[in-house]
Amino acid sequence: MIVAGRSGGEGVRLVLEAEEAMLLSELADQVDSVLLLGEADDPALGRLLPNAYPDDARSGREFARYTRDSLVDGKRQAAQRVRDATAVDDERDSVVQIELDQSEAWGWLTFLTDLRLILAERVGIIEEGDEESDETRDDYLRAAYEWAGFVQGSMLEVLDPTES
Amino acid sequence: MTSTLEQLDLDAVTRVVAEEPWRTIVWDDPVNLMTYVTYVFRSYFGYSREEAERLMLRVHNEGRAIVATGNREAMERHAEAMHGYGLQATVSRADP
Repeated sequence: MIVAGRSGGEGVRLVLEAEEAMLLSELADQVDSVLLLGEADDPALGRLLPNAYPDDARSGREFARYTRDSLVDGKRQAAQRVRDATAVDDERDSVVQIELDQSEAWGWLTFLTDLRLILAERVGIIEEGDEESDETRDDYLRAAYEWAGFVQGSMLEVLDPTES
Repeated sequence: MTSTLEQLDLDAVTRVVAEEPWRTIVWDDPVNLMTYVTYVFRSYFGYSREEAERLMLRVHNEGRAIVATGNREAMERHAEAMHGYGLQATVSRADP
């Protein structure tokens, strides 16, 4: 994976190996599914849609009632755009090139955050349930978590360089 | 007529002064990258890099930071925006 600046101005350019693109597309589809189908008591959803009033149940419910739909819509749209951008149309393609302007890049950054929040929650659950622990799945989720963090960090180095 | 208008204005001023200030608080989350949190604070609130980094470090080191104060509606808008970015944010009334 290559993360670089755009020659034409602000934004970021991504070059993904076909396998990386397929993995990201699959993960984006899963994030969309969690948001669409997630049970109300799914702790991963709780990470994506936190309670704004932990000490005031009534205000918390009101806040959720007014904000939840648009938050879910925004997060699903971001996930769907990543899924579509990383779809490999032609299996003979060895790389997928993606150009993002500033606003599209924000969609990716927030998607990568939501993805990592979900993965962190899933890995945590597996750690607790020691008997049911599926080490292969655990390793896969951890690797995806680290990789998503690497992609996000690389994008931020381009979008918000810190050297001064 | 004039006196009525003055009366209305005075009421409005009193309401604003009496209004309790509220806060938007962002909580530490082991998942989010420090560079991401700083970039969100800079981009959304328009804070300078120094201010955004100071707030991010406060979240990181002390577990939470007040990122905005004001009326309740505005603080809820900020909390909603933070949730959109994937940050853990709450709204509460400022201590008297």
